[in-house]
Amino acid sequence: MAPKIEYYCPCLAESPHPPPPHLPSSSYSFHPLHNLFFCEECDAVRCNRCVLLEVSGYYCPNCLFEVPSASVRAEKNRCARNCFMCPNCRNTLTVVPSDPPDNGDMRTSAVVTTALGEPPFFLYCNHCRWDSAEVDITFEKPTGLAAQLQKFEDSAPESLEFERLKEHFEPFLRASSSSALPSATPAHHVHANPITAAASSALARDIPGVGKYNPLARSRIGRDKHAHRHELPDYKARVEIASAAALSGEADVEFLKHLESIEEVASLEQRWTNSWATSLRESDLKPLRIPLQSKKSKRCPSCRHILIKPEQKAQSVRFKIKLVAANYLPAIAVTLPHAQAALEMMKRSSTLGKSTSAAAAAEEQQAAGALIPGHSYPFHLAFTNPLYDPIQIRLAKAVPQGEIVDAEKARRSTFHIQLPSAAFPVAAYAEAWEYDDDEEDMFGLDDDGMEVDARGKKSKDGRGKSRSVGIVERRANVTVVSGEVLIPKDARGEVKFNMLVSYTYRSDDPETVDDAEAGTPSRSQATSRAPEMKNFSFYTVVDLGTIAHREETRLSVEP
Amino acid sequence: MSAVPSTPRRPAHETTTPAATPQTTRVGTTHIIQSSPHYQTTRRHSLYGTEDRIILDPGSRVWKVGFSGEGKPRDVFLAEPETGKSLWSLNRASKPADREEEDRVLEAKLQACLRSVFHNSLLTDPKSRKVILVEHPLLPLHIKEMIARVLFNNLQVPSISFASSHLLALLAAGRITGLVIDCGHLETTVLPVFSFRPLYPHLRTTPLAGARLSIHIKALLLMFGTYIPPATSLSAAVNIPAASRSVRVPQDVLTDKVIDEIKTRLCFVGDPIDDESQLMSGGRVSSPSGGEEGSELDLPPSDPAMSESEFSRVSAAEVESLASSAAYSVVSHSQLAGMGSESDAASLGGERRVQALATMYGRHSTATDIHMRVDPPPSQQTGTGRGTLIIPGWVRERAAEVLFEGGDVDENSVAEVILECLLKVPVDLRKTLASTILVVGGTPMLPGFIPRLQAELVRAVSRTSSSQSSPSPPSRPGHPSRRPPPGTASGYDRYAPLRPLLPYFAILNNPAPPPPASAPAAANAGKAPAFTPAAMAWVGGSLAGALKTGGFEVQREKWDEAEAGAVVTGVQPDDEDVLMGAEDSPPRPRPGAASATPRSILPDWTRTPLPAGAPPAPRPPGSTAGAQGPVFASSSLHTQSVAG
Repeated sequence: MAPKIEYYCPCLAESPHPPPPHLPSSSYSFHPLHNLFFCEECDAVRCNRCVLLEVSGYYCPNCLFEVPSASVRAEKNRCARNCFMCPNCRNTLTVVPSDPPDNGDMRTSAVVTTALGEPPFFLYCNHCRWDSAEVDITFEKPTGLAAQLQKFEDSAPESLEFERLKEHFEPFLRASSSSALPSATPAHHVHANPITAAASSALARDIPGVGKYNPLARSRIGRDKHAHRHELPDYKARVEIASAAALSGEADVEFLKHLESIEEVASLEQRWTNSWATSLRESDLKPLRIPLQSKKSKRCPSCRHILIKPEQKAQSVRFKIKLVAANYLPAIAVTLPHAQAALEMMKRSSTLGKSTSAAAAAEEQQAAGALIPGHSYPFHLAFTNPLYDPIQIRLAKAVPQGEIVDAEKARRSTFHIQLPSAAFPVAAYAEAWEYDDDEEDMFGLDDDGMEVDARGKKSKDGRGKSRSVGIVERRANVTVVSGEVLIPKDARGEVKFNMLVSYTYRSDDPETVDDAEAGTPSRSQATSRAPEMKNFSFYTVVDLGTIAHREETRLSVEP
Repeated sequence: MSAVPSTPRRPAHETTTPAATPQTTRVGTTHIIQSSPHYQTTRRHSLYGTEDRIILDPGSRVWKVGFSGEGKPRDVFLAEPETGKSLWSLNRASKPADREEEDRVLEAKLQACLRSVFHNSLLTDPKSRKVILVEHPLLPLHIKEMIARVLFNNLQVPSISFASSHLLALLAAGRITGLVIDCGHLETTVLPVFSFRPLYPHLRTTPLAGARLSIHIKALLLMFGTYIPPATSLSAAVNIPAASRSVRVPQDVLTDKVIDEIKTRLCFVGDPIDDESQLMSGGRVSSPSGGEEGSELDLPPSDPAMSESEFSRVSAAEVESLASSAAYSVVSHSQLAGMGSESDAASLGGERRVQALATMYGRHSTATDIHMRVDPPPSQQTGTGRGTLIIPGWVRERAAEVLFEGGDVDENSVAEVILECLLKVPVDLRKTLASTILVVGGTPMLPGFIPRLQAELVRAVSRTSSSQSSPSPPSRPGHPSRRPPPGTASGYDRYAPLRPLLPYFAILNNPAPPPPASAPAAANAGKAPAFTPAAMAWVGGSLAGALKTGGFEVQREKWDEAEAGAVVTGVQPDDEDVLMGAEDSPPRPRPGAASATPRSILPDWTRTPLPAGAPPAPRPPGSTAGAQGPVFASSSLHTQSVAG
């Protein structure tokens, strides 16, 4: 696994400090940089877990039609035009005409028929060859299919039954709710129904607490509801399940008993939104209307400022407002030079020599990039500055919280991380042509970092330790620094640590210094005023990979 | 709740006064605001009338979500789509630190689910949508709190109503009285509802449910399934017959996804086997000395199903030792546990017993064997294409037997748990409730489940009578010496008080009801509308929302107030802890700031104090202390998890 780095959003935790990275719950607090937003007002990172979402428009992902809000509800969030999905493979269905009458030669008649084709039309899946004629769905004309199907949906048994249920309960509830208040009055003496009058005393004695918490009864059964109570007649179902048994009951058992292959039965995902007893058979599945999608604008949860606002048009992929964290925070890329070098070598050898199987290669790769206990490895952190001003970055290993238990502490300190302690600069972002070809202040040879090899440990050992921690490379708006991880002999687990990155930048509007919200790193061009330095810091988690197991690497894989 | 039927919670002036929290003093002025035309015009996104609520049925595994007033849920999804596991289980970590961590993970997952409900499934603005939460009566309180916290704090819904899932399911059947059994993933719960009132104290539960069925299917397949790995080369695929390649099923093949697919697409529930005594002797008797059983073992398999799994038969013992004790649930846990000391003999006996069971079931089953294409385990991915898993027909038909195997005091069968509940309810209600049984939940979606349950109910009640004369205890023909079950002494007839109910047993949503034996049964059996058992609770929620009711409602103002209060008092968490400790014994799991949530706000029937002066419920005749044991044990487990 390649080493990776993720950024912290404090929305899940109460403290501004990140949870220790070895906890499984911590993974929910860290996000890749490209998923994060930045609120200028609050001067804080926001993530997809905390932003408030608002729908700014609905559209069909297939035909890109912008559905007006009014019809979204009526169509149940589905496309009301010609867009259908295959029930088997979820591919988009196409409308095809039926074969022309086979009175003549197939080829000529196909040419003769116009683009419109012969009715009836049906839906056809280009992927799995399913077609809607199998389930007796055909259309008179090739347009407005959803409207043609609408009448079937309106007469769906579950909605008819639902309406009937509603009518059944409505008069009863209307009568009772007119006087009933949502007060906390416990509805104690509701047993005036002659049938249950005898039971009521037993009930009242037998069921402690029922009068206190009585979820549905409270609103509908008031004190004088006796008359209504026994007015509720028995409900007569429109379609009783016993009479619908042809669809579900013993027929299904018989069908399953003589089943030949699993494909005959529709999968759970294909059936489970049906609230009505339907056939199990896959051959009875109906085409699905394609669900709509929405364009969402995102707001900061605390100050409600808009962070993301997409353009209204469904075809457009641009945003009117886009405050993403990648424009404010330096992007960090973490690499393990020894793994990279090993990979490079492997590539070379594999192209030269015989190609081994993919699995073996992957295994080799794993082994090459492995972090073996008892060694120390350098790692590179490449910082890319998105701001138009140079920044100064300072790194620190996040101090674990005091509450951590000793056992965990022991586990945490299985490896030692060395980070460059001094602040280092990252040049400003500029368009490509603005950079000089000869970056004069580029020190630390390029090769230096790349030559560190997993196999050539001697060469690395020969190098001074201080050498491997510090700035490795500077070019354009990227600065690469190197840290070092030392893995003791008995270490195991993942090499994962929290890193605090703080950087200073020049604030662009120094006249509103007293305004706390103004101190935001911004991408706008630097002005010529006196530089006002601001500081921003954020937490990250650096995951260098798993410490290789000595036993595992030495021994062959056990069966 | 009727006073504020349609409180539109979306601030009309969001953009102008961003920092203002809009829901401060809205309660009293609702009607004024609502009648203002200006307000109406600014509500851009409110496509649904504000009275349309969102119905949320969050299961431990499957969630159903949609809008009220509609006949079916808009979306159904797995809470954890990658693994298909359940979000929570019946256990919680025992160490406080672990538990805290577990809760954090759970809350993060719940948050992801809930956000996806509003933003991906329903595409609606949570700030203007009231929510009805279809609440399982045993949904642990800490999970309920988490859901409420995410809905109120993260999504800012205006209000949440809590409605009992059992009651809602009954509404969907058009009834207000009935005995509702919910057979879900983690457990099966029976709750009597009388005239809209859930009789919570009579709730009965058993862990025999979907999760147990999955484990059982896996165990059966490990022993009796056959796996044909993909041929190593195309020529081998032609030359080497599949039979010679077949091996016993590697555990890696039976991933949760595969098991789930088998369960939902291949399994069904067969009729009870007619010759009960044969089942008893062949299946349930675990004594290795049973002569009849021995002869059965030696019989060559008469069914082609058996010859197919010949290979795995040979190595059954190996498999059994391989199968973890958790996976090995083939007949019952307690039986195994009792055999711990004599493990060798026991495992031999267990193996023979299971073998005998297989033979017997195989002989009775006419279900076809299914060849299913499965991905080979990652360690053996060298062949061409996918492997084949052969599932014997009798496994498909009889896997669900585990749910109907009673006789264990800790784990009642699905039929027994209904009977236990009937024993608990007041005598006057028994007849009514016995004839209005409603079966809901995901597991009853197995074809044949409900008719089988009906048969099992009748059998469990009448069996006792028929075998009363026999010397061995009726429900447990095994070895009474090894498992001395309290309360099931020889001749003890547990369900005798229910025997007069025999003609009245009727399942409302039985697709194939037996000929009715009484007028109430005739009026009720199979009379429910043909909604699927799995969707009934959701449909009921939708109905409740459409009828503008829906249980105890918690407004966001109340929540915010309570939370603000908790934060203020949270300055001295220790004091609060002491207070809490005084009130209810379990210590608060999270003394941190996160636990500063209002406890009293959410409705919780388990904490309702007893009304003063109410005498303790008299025990119905026939239930003894011993038999109460498991029920209390399981319910105390719940209270524990609820309280924690």
